[in-house]
Amino acid sequence: MGFKSLISSKKMLSLVAAFLLLGTNLLMAQEAPAAAAATGDAATPSVWLGPAYYILLFAVVCFAIGIVGKILRVYDLSQQIQGKKPINWHNVMGVLCLIFLVAGMYGAYWSFTVHGSMILPGAASVHGKKIDQMFWTTTVLTMIVFVITQILLFTFLFRYRYNAKRRAHFLPHDNTIEKVWTIAPAIVLTILVIFGFFTWQQITNTVDAKGETASIDVDITGHQFAWELRYPGTDGKLGKTNYKLVTGTNKLGLDFAVDKNTYDDLQADTMVLPVNKSIRLNIHAQDVIHSVYMPHFRVQLNAVPGLPTYFKFTPTVTTAEMRRQEGDPTFEYLVYCNKICGGAHYNMKKVVRIVSEAEYQAWLATQKPYMTDQVKKDLKFAETKPAAKENRLALNN
Amino acid sequence: MSTLAVHDHEVAHHDEDHGHHHHDTFLSKYIFSQDHKMIAKQFLVTGITMAVIAMILSILFRIQLAYPDKAFPLLETLLGRFAPGGRLDANFYLALVTIHGTIMVFFVLTAGLSGTFSNLLIPLQVGARDMASPFMNMLSYWFFFLASVIMLSSFLVQKGPASGGWTIYPPLSAMPKAMPGSEMGMTLWLISMVLFIASSLMGAINYVSTVLNMRTKGMDLWKMPLTIWAFFLTAILGILAFPVLVAGVVLLIFDRSFGTSFYLSEIVLGGSSVQPFEGGSPILFQHLFWFLGHPEVYIVIMPAMGISSEVMSVNSRKPIFGYHAMVYSLIGITVLSFIVWGHHMFVTGMNPFLGGVFMITTLIIAVPSAVKTFNWLATLWRGNIRFSAAMLFAIGMVSFFISGGLTGIFLGNATLDINLHDTYFVVAHFHLVMGSAAIFGMLAGVYHWFPKMYGRMMNERLGYLHFWITFIGAYLVFFPMHFMGLDGVPRRYYAFTEFESMKRWLSVNTFVTWAAIMAAVAQFAFLFNFIYSIFWGKKATQNPWEANTMEWTAPVEHIHGNWPGEIPTVYRWPYDYSKPGADEDYIPQTVPLSQTMSSNLPHDFEDNPAGLEAYAKWAEAQKKSDEVK
Amino acid sequence: MAKIEQEDKYQFAPKKFNMWVFVFTSFMFFAALTSGFIVYAGGHGTGMDMKLPAIFTYSTVVIVLSSISMFMASRAARQVQLGQQRLFLIITIALGVAFFALQTYAWLILLPGMGVYFSNPNASQSFVYVFIWMHLLHILAGVLLLANTLWGSYKERPQAKNLFGMQMSSIFWHFVDIIWIYLYVFLLLNQY
Ligand code: HEM
Ligand SMILES: [Cu+2]
Ligand SMILES: [Cu+2]
Repeated sequence: MGFKSLISSKKMLSLVAAFLLLGTNLLMAQEAPAAAAATGDAATPSVWLGPAYYILLFAVVCFAIGIVGKILRVYDLSQQIQGKKPINWHNVMGVLCLIFLVAGMYGAYWSFTVHGSMILPGAASVHGKKIDQMFWTTTVLTMIVFVITQILLFTFLFRYRYNAKRRAHFLPHDNTIEKVWTIAPAIVLTILVIFGFFTWQQITNTVDAKGETASIDVDITGHQFAWELRYPGTDGKLGKTNYKLVTGTNKLGLDFAVDKNTYDDLQADTMVLPVNKSIRLNIHAQDVIHSVYMPHFRVQLNAVPGLPTYFKFTPTVTTAEMRRQEGDPTFEYLVYCNKICGGAHYNMKKVVRIVSEAEYQAWLATQKPYMTDQVKKDLKFAETKPAAKENRLALNN
Repeated sequence: MSTLAVHDHEVAHHDEDHGHHHHDTFLSKYIFSQDHKMIAKQFLVTGITMAVIAMILSILFRIQLAYPDKAFPLLETLLGRFAPGGRLDANFYLALVTIHGTIMVFFVLTAGLSGTFSNLLIPLQVGARDMASPFMNMLSYWFFFLASVIMLSSFLVQKGPASGGWTIYPPLSAMPKAMPGSEMGMTLWLISMVLFIASSLMGAINYVSTVLNMRTKGMDLWKMPLTIWAFFLTAILGILAFPVLVAGVVLLIFDRSFGTSFYLSEIVLGGSSVQPFEGGSPILFQHLFWFLGHPEVYIVIMPAMGISSEVMSVNSRKPIFGYHAMVYSLIGITVLSFIVWGHHMFVTGMNPFLGGVFMITTLIIAVPSAVKTFNWLATLWRGNIRFSAAMLFAIGMVSFFISGGLTGIFLGNATLDINLHDTYFVVAHFHLVMGSAAIFGMLAGVYHWFPKMYGRMMNERLGYLHFWITFIGAYLVFFPMHFMGLDGVPRRYYAFTEFESMKRWLSVNTFVTWAAIMAAVAQFAFLFNFIYSIFWGKKATQNPWEANTMEWTAPVEHIHGNWPGEIPTVYRWPYDYSKPGADEDYIPQTVPLSQTMSSNLPHDFEDNPAGLEAYAKWAEAQKKSDEVK
Repeated sequence: MAKIEQEDKYQFAPKKFNMWVFVFTSFMFFAALTSGFIVYAGGHGTGMDMKLPAIFTYSTVVIVLSSISMFMASRAARQVQLGQQRLFLIITIALGVAFFALQTYAWLILLPGMGVYFSNPNASQSFVYVFIWMHLLHILAGVLLLANTLWGSYKERPQAKNLFGMQMSSIFWHFVDIIWIYLYVFLLLNQY
């Protein structure tokens, strides 16, 4: 019997006594520093002080558990001696299961209402609305299953708890009911699959429909630990890049020598986008995998070095509207990095601002091109000489 | 064959001596033991040790998440350069997360779980003297041990352990300059994993071979307990999946150390240092990794399912409901788990059509999982439920499996995964379904088979305490995480201080951390119980749970070859609990049908016409005598 | 139902089964590597962009011959002709070593001579090295296993044990042979 010898062991007792002594001493003498220790004041005599308190607490709890165990044991024995029944643990556990069910269901409900109100607002993009719809359908279906199965599980435990007089019902199988509960989930899942499959196809079908105006191209490039943005200039076209040309001044490796479309490409600090316009995000990475994640728009796609990808979406709610809706005047949409990429992964973001078309044009006009004076100078210098070098590169490939 | 197959008295007499005349030294008995029972215990103890270590790691990073702005001088004392000024270093945070995940998934829930219970139960439950190759079995343990030591030793290298996440996606893991953890730490991680895989494969080969070749007389496949089915199919999964990870890891090693570009392409480090790699595909690694990775999660859960099925049947005093359906759904899961790996890669930019296909296969795999759940519920229905500690943990496993499995339906839907991928929703999903359900399955196994392993009983009441605190704690920890995920909070973030929208989750994070600490502290109840009971627990009887399976016919004392005499013959399936007409509420597998005429059912004689005839005769006679009365 | 429980003193049958399963895991390993190649080459757009040197044809012939002599050795073992068994085992080992030498020559001298390097922006070409090396590891293991069997055949052993050793090594050796043929054909098909 575990508790018994735990308690009767002299070593244990003396250990606890030592802890108690040490603990009270510490507490008495160090009321103030103990608090300081928690906040990390360098002046504390020892970093062990705070933890010692918790270890003491732990010892006390163990001690209490030991005592309770002992009492239960004694109670059991005395009941037996008196010819009465000892504690029926099956009943205790059965009741606990029931309590857990009720408390758990309440806890889940509480979490749904409190935490559930902290989740993202409704999607701020066209395809996002479809995703939300799918999400709520799935949630309702799964929550029904969740509640029913958990209730069955724990009520069965209570209802069929051990009773020496009873015998279990011998029921090895029942083909009908087994078929039912194979086919029922299969049907539900088929519905979800079909639903999901078509939505998925719509979202990933990225060909511009006929007659639709072309999407606005925006380049986003991840590197440790920031996002770089590039907008096409007046020509509406993004110029070519070549990773071998990346330098401190030419951060994205724009290929000025080869592609004239690069000349008017703009750099930006904020991803400003016009509302209700189709946007095509071209996603790149320079070093490791990153992930463009814009949860409010239900947009996510990995940025993989050497494998450019893109995501098309249409924002529908401007930042200003969202601020009003959320009652938060400082609200900003953000793009996060959502694929582990190194130490500062947790702080790799860019502000996304959805504005009206007019504001967008005005903003675009103020952005600076990648072709800075420095680059121009470099380029002039380079245009004469490295033509040969360029050739060699091409041959190497 | 005698004419009356019911009481099959044909006994194959042969020498009792089966060639084991060991003179055990300490070394050969406890260290380099080739006895499957001892190896099982070695796996268990190592597994528990690793679990405690990984748990401590998790508490460390939970503290960081709860108190991102606070300094704990003690941390600096303990961790030195990894926690300058008493605050975890951001890179070290990632290292903790990585090693926690690796240890839990591979070292605890793969080796600790399969290694312990496959080793212990396969020979005992199918009726074999030992594994097919005891020597290989011993090697399997020692490779595992070495792998564990190397994995832990990576905390001692200058730049810290691997820190690219347990999925070690290149290029992050492939370029030493990408992060400190990708230097020596990553190398050690890779070496450790290669050894680990070698260990797993040696184990798995043995398990498959033993189940297929060494079953005792009468133990046909459809008389095997669900535990054995689960271990068997798990081993098959491992055999098919692990070699693929080796291939992926070998290529990664070449990329890291020999300048190849299998996974690397067009890389510029630090904004200006152009790397020579061209044409490689980081996605290739993900395919190779998840081709193992997804089966791996089922490698983790299937033994837990098998153990829970067995424990629940024994303690409900009822046959497992739908034994055949249980086996077929295990087989279904085994097969399907090889064609769903793409669901981890929906947002990598993979071909969208392929994504659609993976979505379909993924949602199909939920069907066998659902069937299993319903069958467990039906097993409890009208049972006579004994609340042993093992039973409670098995029930906990079912509850967690439901909760976590349902969120899989969200994630398996590519459309929803766009916004959920790599958020705390995924963390909640897999911690419930794996971190909690599989661990509970393992603990159920420990409580249930402790008497078989150590010949003593664990303390049930301490087990109750352990169960309730852990059960409630796990729900408190993981339930709120769903909502964080739905708010778009990414996983693997060192601190949620940099984003205005994430700061309001701080109170939840603090709460979660304290729940985690509570659950962690409760594990001391288990550790104390485990260690104490090994030495001073109540002596176990031969069949303490009144169970049907064969291991309980072996003597309590461990002997080489498991049974002193001949290995018993098996006559019936393992789930004859509370059979109407039987005297006791259980009939062990080794009891011939001829001894239980009053409880036999026509169904028991399916492939046995001679037996059926005898039974019919008996029933006739019975009727007559009833009429006479 | 056979009397499974009839105890086979050395557990030969299950151990042989172990060998089969092991062979299967090895096969999965190579299947993964070749699938990796396909995924890579698919993304890259071309195959290896090189012609395989003729030496691989020779090494393939050598290893096929070694399989034949292995077969002869097994047959001799079954007919309890110890002398022949040893002779053919030695031939097999010699052929195995020859294969090893040819392959080593190929990757050490020939391939670099053709401008095909391991560290290479076209990883399809690196894959050739990986295939060769990983296969050579298996050859090495196979030769050691054969040597062990040969050594065992000089000791006084019951025929059952001798036969068992032969069976184990021949399963493995034939497998190693087949894997090479698979890899070779695979490479031939993906030259461009
Ligand atoms: C009902 C069946 C299940 C479905 C439909 C399902 C689906 C999924 C999906 C789609 C993901 C990827 C989520 C993402 O990264 O965006 C995922 C992640 C995961 N699942 Fe499941 N799952 C199921 C059951 C399980 C089981 C039984 C386990 C383990 C015992 C498990 C363990 C995991 C793990 C560990 C991950 C996370 C891997 C990582 O990214 O680190 N799942 N699951
Ligand atoms: Cu990033
Ligand atoms: Cu998966």
